[in-house]
Amino acid sequence: MKPLQILNEALRALNSNRLRSALTMLGVVIGIASVLLMLSVGDAVRSYIAKELAVLGSNQLIVQPGTPVEGGVRRRAGDTPNLTLDDARALAQLPSLRGAAPALQGFFQLHYGDANSNQTVLGTIPAMLELRNWQIERGVAIDERDVQSANRVAVIGSMLARKYYADRAPVGQVLRLDGQPFTIIGVLAGKGRTLDGTELGELTLVPISAMPLRLARPGLVHYISLQAHSAKHMDDARQDAEELLRDRHHITGDKKDDFVITDLASIAETGTSIATGLSVGLGVIGAISLLVCGIGIMNIMLVSVSERVREIGIRMAIGARPRDVLWQFLGEALVLCLIGGVIGLGLAALGALGVNSLDKMSVSLSTQHMAVAVGFASLVGLFFGYYPARRASTLLPIECLRQD
Amino acid sequence: MALELMAPHPQGQMAATASRPKAPVLSLRGIRKSYRSGDVQTPVLHGIDLDVQAGDYVALMGSSGSGKSTLMNLMGLLDRCDEGSYTLQGHDVSQLSAAQHAEVRNARIGFVFQSFNLLKRMSVLDNIALPLIYAGRSRASARDRAERLLEQVGLGAMASRMSNQLSGGQQQRVAIARALVNEATLLLADEPTGNLDTQTTAEVLDIFERLNRETGLTIVLVTHEPDVALQAQRLVRLKDGRIAFDGHPQEQAHA
Repeated sequence: MKPLQILNEALRALNSNRLRSALTMLGVVIGIASVLLMLSVGDAVRSYIAKELAVLGSNQLIVQPGTPVEGGVRRRAGDTPNLTLDDARALAQLPSLRGAAPALQGFFQLHYGDANSNQTVLGTIPAMLELRNWQIERGVAIDERDVQSANRVAVIGSMLARKYYADRAPVGQVLRLDGQPFTIIGVLAGKGRTLDGTELGELTLVPISAMPLRLARPGLVHYISLQAHSAKHMDDARQDAEELLRDRHHITGDKKDDFVITDLASIAETGTSIATGLSVGLGVIGAISLLVCGIGIMNIMLVSVSERVREIGIRMAIGARPRDVLWQFLGEALVLCLIGGVIGLGLAALGALGVNSLDKMSVSLSTQHMAVAVGFASLVGLFFGYYPARRASTLLPIECLRQD
Repeated sequence: MALELMAPHPQGQMAATASRPKAPVLSLRGIRKSYRSGDVQTPVLHGIDLDVQAGDYVALMGSSGSGKSTLMNLMGLLDRCDEGSYTLQGHDVSQLSAAQHAEVRNARIGFVFQSFNLLKRMSVLDNIALPLIYAGRSRASARDRAERLLEQVGLGAMASRMSNQLSGGQQQRVAIARALVNEATLLLADEPTGNLDTQTTAEVLDIFERLNRETGLTIVLVTHEPDVALQAQRLVRLKDGRIAFDGHPQEQAHA
């Protein structure tokens, strides 16, 4: 029999028992739709995490004051500032580092004309924007002169700009920080969580010298942000920074560091591996549902074969070879799975639209996934349809004809 | 060898009609067959020797359990014998594979059954065309030929009907058309009139008679009705798995 005739026969047979065909197909539809959705959601989560990680900047190290033990009580890292602007400057000179930027960070009430809100303010130097890969959406960034002269200028996050300056251009406006006027010179692009969990869109940047904070002595900073040249250089960069700081802080021999260097690449790695684990897990769930639907197909095909033994006998009598019978039933299983697969694809597309409408992440069905789904559907059909079809094809014609 | 068997031979068939050569269409030698159910082996055929000549019209009779249906199934390659040889048109077919048997059935043998055995979900025309489809013909040419056969059995108007919408007599005529669509040399009919009334029985037998006379088709017909057997030129009566009589029907039919 030719493929077209196999298809023809398969459609006729499936059409003659519509309810059963539809129910069997439903299993395939759900199986394929879930595999597709799982793959796509896994991908979406991965790219979502990748996007979030991009806001953090790549190959980041962060230096914080250590955890001194005072009177037997271990204090929180960063509680006792001992890092200085000079430390930052020295670190910036290290060849294994792309840059180093000191930071003073605080929570202040900000006044924007009539409105006010409490926000995180980050005092830093221009290098910070480069290290973290923060872009300027409008206006300009803080520059070296602003830091040298302690100019009262500010760059605000995009969400603040949208919220408080919806009806006027933010650049050129004056906001009050701790009672002091700061001129807004730029707006940061993008949003997302930064390293310490602050929302980038709600951050306010000012020159570190203009930061209205008084620490124990001048020149102290909260932390220093570092960036290595590449992921490969993370260990070198870390080692160099550690040696330099030990030297500068006069820590010798086996005395403990009074600072902590955190490697943020490992955070990124954790995020990525969580995403990968998630998509593998989701894929396994999808695969199990396909397995279940495959068993359903095998079951129905076995019933179908035993119901149609007489038909098989008649076909054999008039000249159907074993392989014609094999292909007849395999064709039915295949067509069932392919139609189910295509409907499942449609369902998955609808599901993706549904997930997207939640606005949390963007799920899209790639052509690769569609190919995988259709390929999987036909594999399920071939695999689970083979045994019943093979059984039908090895029946003896006379035994089939004797059955009623 | 199977391929040779499948070679087209329309002229051959006509020539056979004219001269009636004594070369047998089928030749059975020492055929034995028994059925096993559980541990019990029930012998059905005890060594059958039978030749059927080209153009023969043979009625096969016997009480139930005599083995006539079993013999018919062996002739139709629907079953395999335990012992003996089966030569069909000069070729030993007893050792062929299942697929080769299917090809021989498709090209050489037409079946007509008591219960018609048409495929219910198919139109009359598709039923007739199916053997051609299995022979590898295109759907269009198969339907074309099926249509001509349907005309010949007088059911040209029924082509697009589903087969189960026809009367018994009509279904049997469709089955005959299907049996002939591949230009079979041997027609095997297993109680073809068993489910038909007198009127349609006469119609069906008339078709057989005409096919045998006009095209030289070899027919082997299993029946238990003496009137039906009288239509044939030769009667073979089986008793307990052996041939008890082989001769002209009038000598034995009413015995």
